[in-house]
Amino acid sequence: MTDLAVNVDQKVKEAYFTASQGQLIWQRFKRNKSALAGAWVLIILVLSGIFAPFLTPYDPTIAGRDKSYQNGAPQIPSFCDDNGCSIRPFIYTYERTRSIKTNFRWVTEEDASLEGRRYVQFFNQGTEYNYFKFYLDFPGKAADINFKGFNFTTHLFGVDKGMIHIFGTDSAGKDIYSRTLTAINTSMAVGTIGVLIAFVLALVIGGIAGYYGGWIDSLLQMITDAVRTIPSIPLFMALAAFIPDVWSAEARFFFISMVLGLIGWPTLARRIRTHLLTERNQEYVLAAQLCGASPAHVIRRHLLPSFTSYIIVDLVISFPYMVLSETALSFIGLGLKEPVNSLGVMLQNVTSADVLLNYQWYFIPVIFFIVLVLAFVFVGDGLRDAADPYADTNK
Amino acid sequence: MGLSELMLQLARFTLIRALLAIFTLIIVSFIVFTLMEMVPGDCAERYLAFKNTQGSGISVADIDAERVRLGLDQPYLQRWFSWIINAFQGEFGDSCILRVNISQLLGQKFWFSLGLCLAALLLAYAIAIPVGILAATSKNAILNNSLRLVSYLGLALPNFLLALMIMLFSTVYFGDSLTGLFSKEYRDAPWSVDRLLDFLGHAWLPIFILGWSATAFAIQTVRALMSDEIGKLYVTAAAARGVSGRHLLMRYPARHALSPIINSLGFDLNRIFNELPIVALILTLTEAGALLIDALARSNDQQLAGAIIFLLTASIVAINFVTDIFLALTDPRVRRSIVG
Repeated sequence: MTDLAVNVDQKVKEAYFTASQGQLIWQRFKRNKSALAGAWVLIILVLSGIFAPFLTPYDPTIAGRDKSYQNGAPQIPSFCDDNGCSIRPFIYTYERTRSIKTNFRWVTEEDASLEGRRYVQFFNQGTEYNYFKFYLDFPGKAADINFKGFNFTTHLFGVDKGMIHIFGTDSAGKDIYSRTLTAINTSMAVGTIGVLIAFVLALVIGGIAGYYGGWIDSLLQMITDAVRTIPSIPLFMALAAFIPDVWSAEARFFFISMVLGLIGWPTLARRIRTHLLTERNQEYVLAAQLCGASPAHVIRRHLLPSFTSYIIVDLVISFPYMVLSETALSFIGLGLKEPVNSLGVMLQNVTSADVLLNYQWYFIPVIFFIVLVLAFVFVGDGLRDAADPYADTNK
Repeated sequence: MGLSELMLQLARFTLIRALLAIFTLIIVSFIVFTLMEMVPGDCAERYLAFKNTQGSGISVADIDAERVRLGLDQPYLQRWFSWIINAFQGEFGDSCILRVNISQLLGQKFWFSLGLCLAALLLAYAIAIPVGILAATSKNAILNNSLRLVSYLGLALPNFLLALMIMLFSTVYFGDSLTGLFSKEYRDAPWSVDRLLDFLGHAWLPIFILGWSATAFAIQTVRALMSDEIGKLYVTAAAARGVSGRHLLMRYPARHALSPIINSLGFDLNRIFNELPIVALILTLTEAGALLIDALARSNDQQLAGAIIFLLTASIVAINFVTDIFLALTDPRVRRSIVG
C-alpha cells in the first residue's frame, strides 16, 4: 500500500522533472480557469471566422444584399404564434411599404399569417463560396500558378423563401450576421500581419541592441524611446490619410497592416533586448562557452529557448492592440474600406442620431469584438503566468 | 550633504535630462519629417492640384515655380534642418492647402486639446490612486474581482467604443446624445462665469471617456505596486514599532509606490493622445481634436499633420522631463543616477 503511494509520488516527481518546457507551461496554463475559458472562446471565434462562408447564409458584400429589407431589425426565429406551433422554426415575411398612412416614410410590415411564414432550413444550398483559391501571376502564361480551389454551396442555415437576417441588416440591406463573422477574419489577418512585421523588426533591432550592448545599445535605445514617445494613432492617421484613393481595398488592407507593424515594434524590441542582456551573462551560457560551444550553438540551444515562451506571450498580448488600432482607424474612415469587412468599417456612420435612435442592432458586432479582445487578454495573461518558471516557487 | 552640493547635483541632473529631451525631439522631428516627405506628392503639387479644381489650368512649369517659391528644391537635409530650427521656436510655416500660418491656426485649439488631455490624466489618477490602494489593502473578493473586470474592460472596451455605448444609452434613455462642449447659446459667447459652468457641465463626460483606459491601467499599476510594497520587511518593521492604519500606509508603502507611477505619467498621456482624435470625432468636440482629423484626413495637409504630431510628442517629452525633475527632487537615488 505505502509502496504504491511512494511509487506514484515518485512517478509524479519524475514526470515533473523530465517534462519539457512546453509541457510545464501547458500544465500551469490548464490550472488557470479563466485563461482556459478564454482559449476556448478564442478557438471558437477564430473557427467561426474561418468557416464564416459556411456558417453565414449570405455574401457579406453588396452582392449579398437584401433589397427588400434595408435597415431591417433582427429576425428571431420562433416556434409558435397565434396560428399554432411548428417543429421547424420560422420567421415572418417582411415587406417594406410607404404610403400616405406612414407619412411617406419607409416602414417594415410583417405578414404574420400562415402563408407569410418562412421556415428555417439547415444545410441548404445558397451562394457559392470558395476555399484555397490560389493564383500567382508569373511572366509567361505557362508559368502561372493557378489553383482553382474548392467551391461549395452548402450553408449551415437559410430559409425556404426570401432571406433571413438574425442580426438585422444595414442601410444597404447587407446581412449584419454575415458581415460580423467575416469581420473576425479580417481582424485576425490584420493582427497577424501587423504582429509578424513588428516581431521581425523587434527581433532585429532588439537583438542587435542586446547582443552588442555598449554604445550601439544606448543609441538604439534612444531611438526606440523616441519612437515610443510619438502617439501612434495620430501618426498612423497622418500616414493613412495619404493613401491614394485609387488603391484597391486589398492594397489598402496590406498597407494598413504593414504600418501597424512598423509602428508597433518598440515595446517588443525593448523586451527582447532586456532578455538578451540578462541571459547572455548567465552561468549556463558561460558553461556552454567553456565547453567549446560555438556562438550559433549557444544562441540556438540555450539563448533562444530561454525566452521563446516570453516572446510568444508578448505576441499574444500585443495582438489585441493591433486589432483595436485597426478598428479605430477604419471607424474614422482612414483604415479599411468597403468591400473589406471589419468592425471599424461596420461602425462607420453609426454616430448619427437616426441610427442611435432607430437601428440599435448596428451595435451587435461590438459584443463580438469585446469578447474577442477579452479572450486574447485572458489567454495572454494566462500564458504569461504559465511561462514564468518561478510561478510555482513563489506561491 | 550640504545644500550647495545638492543644488549642484540637481543642476547637473536637470541639464543632462534637458539635453536628452532635446535629443529625443530631434530624432522625433527627423522621423516625422521623413514620413511627411515619403507620402506621395509634395506641398506644391497638392496646392496647385487644389487650385486646379477651382478652375485654373496648371502646367508642369507652374508646379516647378511653386516648388522654388516654397524652397522644396533644396536638399532634404537642409530643409529638415530649417524645419527643426523653426519648430523649436514654435514656428511651423504655412499650411499646405489653407495657406494660413500653422501656429495661428493651431494656437488656441492646441492648448485647449492639451488642457482636456491633462484634465483626463488628472482625473484618471485621482480615481486610480485611492481605488488602487484600497484594492491592494482590502481582502474583499467581490471588490477585487470587480476591479479586475474594470481593468480588463479598460483594454477590451477602448475609449471610442465606450463613447459610442454611452451615446447609445443616453440617446435611448434620455433622448440626448451628450455631445459637444458647449450649449448652443454659449458656443460663440465670450468667456463668463455662466459659460464656464456650462462648459464644465459638458466637459466632464469627454474628460472621463478620454481618461477611461488610462484609469483602468493606472488602477492595475497602483494595485500591483502597492501589493508589492506592502509585503516588504520595512512595512512589517514599521508595523512592529506600532505605526498602524492609514498613517502606516501613507508614510511607507505609498511613498515608495509613488515614484514608478509618476514615471509612467508620460506614457499615460501618450495613451490619451491616441484616443483624443477619435473620441473628439464621436463626441463632436469641434473645439479640440477634430482639427487633427481635419488636417490629416480631409485635406492631406502634410505641413499641418507634421506640426500636430510634433507638438503632441513635444508635450509628452515635456511631461517626461518635468516628472524626471520632480522625482529627482524627492528621491536622492534618482538624483545620483545620471542617465538611467
